[in-house]
Amino acid sequence: MKKLKINKYAFLLLQFLFFVVINKVSAQEKEEAEELVKLNYFTINNGVQYLILENSLKTGRKIEPLKNKVFQLYLNSNLPENLIGKISTDKNGNAKSFLPLSLKTAWTESSKHTFIAVALGKEDEIAAELAISKSKIKLDTLTTEGIRNVTVQVMQLTNSVWVPAADVEMKVGVQRLGGILSAGDEETYTTDSSGTASLEFTKDSLPGDQKGNLVLVAKIQDNDLYGNLIVEKTVPWGIVVKPNTSFFEQRTLWTTRFRTPIWLLIMAYSIFIGVWGTIIYLITQIVQIKKLGLAVPEKEV
Amino acid sequence: MENLPSLTKDQIIQDLLPKKFGKIGMIWTFTLISICLFGAFAYYRQLSKGLAVTNMGDYVSWGIYISNFVFFVAISLVGSLITAIFRLSNMKWATPLTRIAEIIAVSAIVFASLIIIIDMGRPDRMLNLFLHGRIQSPIMWDVIVISTYFVISLLLLYLPLLPDLKIMIKFKAQSSSILNKLYLFQGSFWRGTSEQFKVSDRAITILCITIIPVAFSIHTVTSWLFATTYRPGWDSTNFGAYFISGAFLVGAGGVVVAMFIFRKFYKLERYITEMHFEKMGRIVVMLSLLYLYFNINEYLVPAFKMKTGEEAHLKGLFTGEFAPLFWFAILVGMVIPILILVFKKGRKPLPVFIAGIMIVIGAWFKRYLIVTPTLLHPFLPMQDAPAKFHHYFPSWEEWAIAMATLAGSLLVITFFARIYPIIPIQETITEQDETCMSLPPTKQPE
Repeated sequence: MKKLKINKYAFLLLQFLFFVVINKVSAQEKEEAEELVKLNYFTINNGVQYLILENSLKTGRKIEPLKNKVFQLYLNSNLPENLIGKISTDKNGNAKSFLPLSLKTAWTESSKHTFIAVALGKEDEIAAELAISKSKIKLDTLTTEGIRNVTVQVMQLTNSVWVPAADVEMKVGVQRLGGILSAGDEETYTTDSSGTASLEFTKDSLPGDQKGNLVLVAKIQDNDLYGNLIVEKTVPWGIVVKPNTSFFEQRTLWTTRFRTPIWLLIMAYSIFIGVWGTIIYLITQIVQIKKLGLAVPEKEV
Repeated sequence: MENLPSLTKDQIIQDLLPKKFGKIGMIWTFTLISICLFGAFAYYRQLSKGLAVTNMGDYVSWGIYISNFVFFVAISLVGSLITAIFRLSNMKWATPLTRIAEIIAVSAIVFASLIIIIDMGRPDRMLNLFLHGRIQSPIMWDVIVISTYFVISLLLLYLPLLPDLKIMIKFKAQSSSILNKLYLFQGSFWRGTSEQFKVSDRAITILCITIIPVAFSIHTVTSWLFATTYRPGWDSTNFGAYFISGAFLVGAGGVVVAMFIFRKFYKLERYITEMHFEKMGRIVVMLSLLYLYFNINEYLVPAFKMKTGEEAHLKGLFTGEFAPLFWFAILVGMVIPILILVFKKGRKPLPVFIAGIMIVIGAWFKRYLIVTPTLLHPFLPMQDAPAKFHHYFPSWEEWAIAMATLAGSLLVITFFARIYPIIPIQETITEQDETCMSLPPTKQPE
């Protein structure tokens, strides 16, 4: 029985050591660095298309941006004639490129495209790839009986025909300083079979600009098929906010020289006039001394 | 002036008329000119390459230049102490010291203004202060008060000089033709009539009354440049009084040093006597004790509270990076001079001179300690800043320029003493006459 007990403890110890070793090996595995390259496609207001490449180094749980790394971007295949551009990552590990005019024909020819990123010096290796379908997004507003409605429609180009894109998740809201504030009650909205998502605008007491304008935004983010699509529309649905300039119109110690506090002006100028008045008086006294001296011939003294 | 009654008028004039530089005087002058030229070269580099040649940065934006500025402003205050306060208090014994004090004040204030322009990096932008200056800013107050003090100090130097100019014009054979032209231009109209003396004396009294509040303002406003900002070491309501007491001390220290040097090299033992050192020694002890009191007040109270934001700054001074300099400034600039001067034997010319030098050197480092350590310890932690931003040591260009301004101020004093009498001749003669008049009549042999 005693022997059995010893074996039991030995077994527990072995098990403990096994877990320690496994954890250590797994930790070592985690410590291995892995370079990450990701391509993102953006369309703003259905007009401007561009790509953003993200480059980082993953070590364990730590991700660090890789700066000054040069990549070549290609459209559909990494042939020299399909070169979109040569880009270099910034301090955040990001690099941006627009589609050049030389690729307009290739871009309009097809409804589906693949973007390819190749790192400089590793031309035979594809660093990242992104396939997208051409799509467009439309944002409309309608006010009926005082109720404001927002409709967003997403269309996809298939065989040269625009067809509705269903089941596309997006954010619909008002552009604020810190991000997009949902225009309705839901956080996100999804298009139906007609490619449309509709909602009632419930944020009717938001402060707008000086004319009461708000910027409505519909944003599809990181969609597998379409990438990132953003559309904006300015609507007069906000509360008119007139900037309060009274703070700057006060006479204070921190405003411009034209709004100096009266008490300070009186104090400063009285001291200034008092002292400089005395100085000017003293200079007149020197002139007086000179006159007195010149009135007396030198030999008489 | 205990020996004065035995001196004749001609003896006094001959003793006090400006003299040509001797061998030591020439070496001294050329050394100062060389330092100034080297500083001018460093400033040329700063002008062409920008403030990048300095070691100032985002945090220490006020370095050795501003320390030097505060030092100059402080030492300039002596003009109001010796000339105005002593004159208004009818302390006749201080008459031989008035012109020394005034020329120190004028030269210091000139270089205080210059060092500010040097610190600006773009001197042409000085004009913007006048074109777009805001009266709300303490910097603007400083510009106004410095220029005002400069003009008043010049007048206070010039008016008592008029009777001496007449004497120098009379003894023109002892001066060069260029200097004689200068004397004629400045004082040919002085006849020494009673009306002229009346107007002149009245003007000098008005000047003495005016210069005291202006002098207090100049240093109070300089202290407010610091105290109106919320920073460890500067955030004090006591700063004006603290600066003024320090200024009086360094000014008095500067005067005793100048007294000793002029006495020795111009053979003025009969005019600047041991009595002057004895009395100035007593004044310096009083001023040292006063400044020490303000120092204890400025450091002990915050140290007792040791607020988190101020802890790094205070510990840096007491036991950290700046401790050697801090304790040097306290001991050499205040404590040791007190220990020397508090004893009668310590108030002899040489010990007073040594104490004066200690005070001036200690005061220069004290200004550095007021400016720099605070800037290195902002309330918000220094994040993402290069390692060199955590420390400050002036570049050779900064040292050269700062030393050149110090040499420049000494050069102004040197040239002034070469051109004008450093002890007022007419006032000395008048006081001797008054002393003779007040003496009991000597018995005639029967």
